[in-house]
Parts: sequence; structure tokens; C-alpha cells
Amino acid sequence: MSHHRTSRCVAAAATALAVAALAACSVPEPEAEAAAAPGVTDTTVTVGTHQPLTGPAAAGYSSISAATKAYFDYVNDKGGINGRTIEYVVKDDGYNPATTQTVVRELVQEDEVFAVLNGLGTPTHSSVLDFLHQNEVPDLFVASGSTGWNEPETYPNTFAFNADYVTEGAALGQYAADELTGKAACVLGQDDDFGTEFLEGVELALGADGLTDVQTYSVSNQDVTAQIGAMKAAGCEVVMLATVNGFTALAIGTAAQLGWFPRWLSSSSGGDYPTLVGFLGEENGPKLLQGFVSTNYLPMADDEWVELFRQINDDHNGGAPFDGNTIYGMSVGYLFAEALAMAGEDPTRESLVEAIESGKLVGNGVVPLAFGPDDHAAFRGVGITMVNEGVQDFVGTTYSVDAETVEAVEPQPVPLENEGVPAP
Amino acid sequence: MDRLVFLLATGVARGAVFALFALSLVIVWRAARVVNFAQGAMAVVAVFVAFGVTAATGSYWLGLGSALLTGAVLGVVVERGVMNHVPAGNPLPGMIVAIGLVMVLQSGLGMLFGPQHRPMAAPFDERPFQVGGVPVLSPYDVFVLVVAVVVMGVLALLFTRTSLGLQLRASAFAPEVSRLLGVRVPRMLTIGWVLSSAVAALAALLLVPTELGLNAHSADMLFVHAFTVAVVGGLDSPVGALLGGLVVGVLMTLVTGYLGATVAPVAVLVLLATVLLVRPAGIFAAIEARQA
Repeated sequence: MSHHRTSRCVAAAATALAVAALAACSVPEPEAEAAAAPGVTDTTVTVGTHQPLTGPAAAGYSSISAATKAYFDYVNDKGGINGRTIEYVVKDDGYNPATTQTVVRELVQEDEVFAVLNGLGTPTHSSVLDFLHQNEVPDLFVASGSTGWNEPETYPNTFAFNADYVTEGAALGQYAADELTGKAACVLGQDDDFGTEFLEGVELALGADGLTDVQTYSVSNQDVTAQIGAMKAAGCEVVMLATVNGFTALAIGTAAQLGWFPRWLSSSSGGDYPTLVGFLGEENGPKLLQGFVSTNYLPMADDEWVELFRQINDDHNGGAPFDGNTIYGMSVGYLFAEALAMAGEDPTRESLVEAIESGKLVGNGVVPLAFGPDDHAAFRGVGITMVNEGVQDFVGTTYSVDAETVEAVEPQPVPLENEGVPAP
Repeated sequence: MDRLVFLLATGVARGAVFALFALSLVIVWRAARVVNFAQGAMAVVAVFVAFGVTAATGSYWLGLGSALLTGAVLGVVVERGVMNHVPAGNPLPGMIVAIGLVMVLQSGLGMLFGPQHRPMAAPFDERPFQVGGVPVLSPYDVFVLVVAVVVMGVLALLFTRTSLGLQLRASAFAPEVSRLLGVRVPRMLTIGWVLSSAVAALAALLLVPTELGLNAHSADMLFVHAFTVAVVGGLDSPVGALLGGLVVGVLMTLVTGYLGATVAPVAVLVLLATVLLVRPAGIFAAIEARQA
């Protein structure tokens, strides 16, 4: 009996040793790491992203990565950055967090990307935040307005791109207080972080009791009649929307059917004029959207950047419909190219993160970038936009938001230089 | 009180579409003992055809006719081409094949028409009538309700008052005996699919103008809600589909209006769980002997 036990112990010990030996084998050699950063060769830099290219969310977002890729193609035609072309690996996650985990593992472990760029969506990207952190992959310019990307202590390699929802809510709330003084203000928000953080921002500007009514919607139900009816009955005159484009259109369309026409102030996530006209139809869209207020932090309308992006869209993106997503995608590409150029002749993951934290990136937004060692938010302010006779453009009012206050500032657009290719 | 009336009216309009789609699930279940998970995707294909026909001819009614026709043809194709080859006697293979069909149809539509939503105009005004200052049903809602009631009435007459209806019911409940008595059971099965698929196409066509617009996923949530309705009402029962649809539509709107949008899907699940616990076969299920 005891003999039997002893032999079993030996077997167990041998197994443990074997496992330890195997584990030791799988640890990479220190020399191998120093040679070159993952995803970087003498002629290419490979970055990856996860985007909803199929499924219900594709309608709103699938054009973004195509625009980013078109911008990279443009840069590559001009010789790339530091002699390297940028390869963009786009993986479809269908806006399903489980799929996001799979495709991001593929990007990191099989495609060995240098960095993950502009991963789209709060629920989707949240599911890979820890994985990217543990693998020390730079996680750049997340495509979502959640405040969760700005946690440099916990996630030192993660950086946001969108102005966060709190900032947008605060700016719109302040605009309502300044320009639509005394009117009953209400909020319609998505029933997740988007809605709650936006509401937090609005209350920062208007005070906790400054709102007449707050309604929420769920993306699984495309009938918002009950909520719109409630706001109409509550006497709302200004409605601030934390809605995606489709639900902005549903809210405005449903209200019009009920014969109700309040002032609409929408987050940039659901305030893209061409997209909204697509939902509401060419006939009614322009009428319903006259005077529609939204926020933006990227160039729009008659701007030299927009002109360049239109040209790139025609030359490298097959002349796809040009809208806010196109400008957004190309602006993300520009910011990455700028960071890459600043990361040095032989970029490493560390030098890339350092370049962004240096605070020297300029980007192409209308407010200065906020990046620094302690701040991983891109935009801490937004400009107010309005639709007038079918053209959506800045009205000149710009707000800067910090933890406690909202203040009006002057917009600081960045001039276009070197044909939109960042110089090293 | 105003608010309650408003919410009830909104819920009834919505419930009518749920009821109609649930009815299509009931028909195919009664005919073939299959829960057709591809019903939503098939219906959307028909709506795309209707959209094209309406755009080309300018007539909503030609579009509606083409949706019904496409639905019917799809019913034949899916039954004869796909479901007929699935082993009988076990419901699982049929369900899995149907789910596969959903993927094929939705991906195909996505490849052909892209992911964007196409706005569809309703044939009637969508601005609601005001009764005592309270907005209630719009002319389009009334149209949807009338269509739903008429379709259900016609189908009820067909099933209970005609020889074809008798043969359909007979071959569904006792295929062997029916065959011995001269009923062409395979043909009846196909007719069941045709009716079901055409009704589903009609329901989806009625729904799309009230939502975001047409894309490959337009009927996803409709299918989910209608499936709930069919289970609540009893998969065997057309009356259950009608009442279940109205109950679920009104419940969702009332809960959204009084408790918030987040709670609405929970309320529907609670209803579903309660019904399954208390009366597993559904509120209006037929007698046990018919279950086999």
C-alpha cells in the first residue's frame, strides 16, 4: 500500500517537473524580444482592429475602418512613415464581445500586430482591455466615448479617441443653458454607459434638478413612442439625445408623427447629418433636421482637411458615400501616423506609447489633444454644430470640460500641412 | 389616464404585428411540427423584393402583392428544397438547418444590399388621430390592425370551413390515416409552409415602415417577440397567437412607459417563464392528445 503511494508520488513529481520544463521552454528568449518590435519589419508596420462589419451594428459603423485603410493607402503611396508602409488588419467581430475576444487574440497571437487601433464599441472593447494590457499591446484610440479608456494607472497602454460622453453631455447642457435659456430641458439616453455618462455631463452643466424629464431606450426595441409621448406630455422644449444615429432618427421621426417639434441636441455618436438623412429619407430628412444641434471635435463642412479626405475617399476608397464616419476613420488614421512618425526610426511598443504620452501630438481636431502621462483622453472639449439648409457645420461655440466645470473656449483648428502625411 | 390610453393604443398597434407573425409560426408548427427559426430571414427577403417592386413601379400595393408571392415561393423552396431532406422524428435537425438558413439568407442580403437601413414609406399617414387631446392610433396603425384581423379571419375560415382546411388539419394531426383516406399529405405540408411564409412576409412588411428601415436584420427582434407570443399563446393555437400578440405588445409598451425601457424585455421574459411554469404548452394549447 505504502509502496503504491510512493510510486504515485514519484509519478506526480515527475509530471510536475515535466510541466515546469515545458513552461520554461515556452518563455521567449530575451534576445528575441530586443531584435524588433512585433509587427514591425524594415518595410512595414502592421496594426489591427476589431470592427462590426456584419450584423445589426454594421449599418452604423462598417465604413469607418474602410476610411482608415484608405488613408493608410494614401500615406503608403506617399512612401509611408519612416520608410515603412502601414498594413491595417481589420477583423469583423459583429459587435459581439465573445467574437471580439477571439479576433483580438488572433490579431495579437497569430498576426502579431504592433498595436490595436480604434477597436470599436464599449461592450466589445471592454472584453479585451485586460488581455491587451497583459500582453502589453498598445491599445490606441478606442472608438467609443466611454470614460473607461482613460485609466492610465490601470491600463497604461490604452488611449481613447472620442470625446467622452460626459464631455459631450456637459457641452450640450451648457449650450442649452446659454442659448436656450429658460426652456424645459430633457434627456433621452441609451440604457447603458452611453446614457448614464451623458446624463452625468448634462447634470454637471444644468445641476441635478435642471432637467424636466429623463427617458431611456433599449436598442432591442425600435419603438420609442412611449418615451417620446412621455417627454411631450412632460412639456419638454429641448431634448438632449444620447442616442446612436438610428435611434436619433427614430426619436425625431416618432416625435414628428406625434406633431411635436422640440429642439434636438444630440451627442456626436448619433448626430451625423448624412447618416440621419439616410434613415429619415431624402424627402423628410432635411426638413426635420433643420436647426438640429450636435457636437463634433473633428473637421467638417468646408475645411481643407475635409477636402483632402474627400480626395482620398475618391482615390482609395472607391468613392464610397462620404459622411462623418469617413472623416472619423481618416482622422484616426492620421493620428496614428503622427504617433508612429514620432515613435522614432525604429519604433517599439514603448516608444509608441511614449510618443503619445509626450503630449506633442497635434491631430486634426478643433480642440487641442489632451494626451499626457496622466491623461489618456484625446479630446476634453467639443464644438457645437448646427444643421442649416442641409449643411452641418460648427457655429463657433466651443466648450472645454474638466471634472468640475464647463467653460466656453475659442476653437483651435489645426492647419493642414505636408499634404496630410505626418512628417517624422 | 391620458397616459394609459396613449400607451394602450401604442401597444395594441405593435401587438397586431407580433400576433400576425406569431400566427405564421403557429401555421408552420401545426402543419410540419417545425419551429421555423428562418421565418424572420425568409420574411425579410420577401420585403426586399417588395421594396424593389415598390421603388420600380411606385405602387405600394404591387409591392405588397410581390411580398406575399415571394413569401409563398420561398415557402415552397425551403420546404421542398431543404426541410424535406431533413430527417423526421427529431425536431433538432430541422431547427439547426433553419438557423443555418438564417445565416445564409442574412449574409446573402448583406452582400447584395450592404448593411445600411433603407427607409420605407407607409401607405397611410403615420400621424395618430387625437381623441380628447390624447394621440391614439394612426391611420397606418388602423390599417395594420384591419389587415391582421382580416388575415386571421380568412385563415380561420379556411381551416374550419373548407375541404382544404380539413385536409390540412387531418394531415398535420394524423398523417398516416390521412394518407390512407386519400389526402395528399406531402402537398398539404407544402401548402402549410406556403401559407405560413406568406403571412410572415406580410407581417414583416407591415412592421418595417414603423422602424429604422429595411436591412437584413429588420425582422430579428420581430421573430424573437413573435416566438415568445407563440409560446405564450400555445404553438398550436391561432387564437393564442392573436391574444398573445396583443398581450405582449401592450405589456412591453406599458412597462416601457411606466418602468423604463430596460425593464421591458425582462417583463416579457417573466411572462414567458410564468406561462411555461403554470401551463407549459401555452395558455390556449389544445388537448394533450394532439401534442404528439
